[in-house]
Amino acid sequence: MNNLTHEEILPELGAVALDSASVEFCLLAREHAAACPECGPVLFAMEETVAHLGQLVPQQAINPGHGAGIRSRLLMRARLERESSSAAAPGPPDLARGVASLTGLGHKLTPGTQRVVDAEIRKSLPRHGARFPRISGMMFLAMAASAAFIITGAQLMRVTAERNSMREQSAQQVVRPDTTRPSVPGPSEKEALVAAMAGPDVKIVPLATGKAARMGRMFWNRASNDWTIVVYTMPPPKPGMTYQVWLVTDKSKISAGTFQPDSAGHAFMQAKYTLERNALKAVAVTEEPMGGMPSPTGPIVVSGSAAP
Amino acid sequence: MNPSEQDLSYSREIRSNAEDVALIRRMCDADETALGALYDRWMRSLYSLVFHLLQDADEAEDVVEETFWQAWRKASSYEPSRGAVSTWLLTIGRRRALDRLRAKSRRREEPLAGTSGVADMPSRDMDPSLAAEGSERRTHVLAALRGLPEEQREVLELGYFQGLSQTEIAETTGQPLGTVKTRMRLAMQKLREPLSMYRESAQ
Repeated sequence: MNNLTHEEILPELGAVALDSASVEFCLLAREHAAACPECGPVLFAMEETVAHLGQLVPQQAINPGHGAGIRSRLLMRARLERESSSAAAPGPPDLARGVASLTGLGHKLTPGTQRVVDAEIRKSLPRHGARFPRISGMMFLAMAASAAFIITGAQLMRVTAERNSMREQSAQQVVRPDTTRPSVPGPSEKEALVAAMAGPDVKIVPLATGKAARMGRMFWNRASNDWTIVVYTMPPPKPGMTYQVWLVTDKSKISAGTFQPDSAGHAFMQAKYTLERNALKAVAVTEEPMGGMPSPTGPIVVSGSAAP
Repeated sequence: MNPSEQDLSYSREIRSNAEDVALIRRMCDADETALGALYDRWMRSLYSLVFHLLQDADEAEDVVEETFWQAWRKASSYEPSRGAVSTWLLTIGRRRALDRLRAKSRRREEPLAGTSGVADMPSRDMDPSLAAEGSERRTHVLAALRGLPEEQREVLELGYFQGLSQTEIAETTGQPLGTVKTRMRLAMQKLREPLSMYRESAQ
């Protein structure tokens, strides 16, 4: 418990519950309340009272495709985390087979992952009784794509990363793709994948076109310096061209590798690069000649601001 | 709402939160399907709240995802004695939304959209039983809010629905900071009593 007294805190608990007091005071008051049998219950009751007000905001419909995508990502991240945490112990047979690729490069979905994807797709479908609005075929495809994109491309990642490591040596500032992963992703790779995409040090940069359509995300694990980009519904680059990822700072535009989306427009790529925590201003993907360029020359296809 | 209707509402609240608590327990056991179920139950309410604060669909979606991910990671820290699961989720989401708002030092300029007319607006794609519970609760919360003196309700609405600090409320309303603090304290005290039944039902 800190030095704040009951007399100082009790009259302010309503404002603390509303987060309308200063941030510093809210922190101190919550710290005090957590250990104070007098102030704690009052604050908890106030917080619950405040939360009821949330019922009064006008109900807002989320974009169904985005909502399904968020749900799919959450479940996939949770599943990956669960599997990685149980990897040390003998797990279901499919766990050792790792994250599968949907890119047609030789691996099929593991049975367990397939069940999750199937469940996600079923969940996205309209049910009898019309609890959900009717979903068009295109919407279904979008939802299925959302469910699948997070698990696609482990194989593509490996191949692309190896290719990138050779091709991008000519770049002036080059992020070194992580080529140390085993050819068949195993539990350790899944664990690494989860660590790269989840945790308190992970900054997520949404990527979108100028028309604001969400087309992917960059996950930057600032603790491990892992960069994981996932994009979806990308149009194919022109013949002889490729997509190149740029980490934009105040001083430079750093190449983070090139990628080619699969036939569905999905791609997944990881790289490792050390950058100061506050240096990143934006992430951009441009269309460049095959092999990549030392600095961006082509049009920006998708981008996202790293502003908090 | 007459007493029998209130009893019915409480029993539904208890049932609803008991189901949420069961989902949280399954999440503690690393059952991701429980996370999916919790998402289905509360995504709409959470999204509505954070969208109302942020007025940006992309940012609101990010906050929703961050909130449910935090719920998954911190499921074991949920304490039923501190309130309902929905309270926990909405509190996490609102704080995250406020963090974003304040990080950008952005403030919505338009006046509060108001709370009238929303009480009878159940979620279109929500479980019908949940929608019914939500509608009843909204009606009750709205009645409690409308029961406050106007000046107290104003500071509460500015603080909650627009995420303004007490200092900002004082600037907005032209009232001394001390007056704002007093009104907010009184508003919270008065609002707490009629809504206390939901707190009891959450435990």
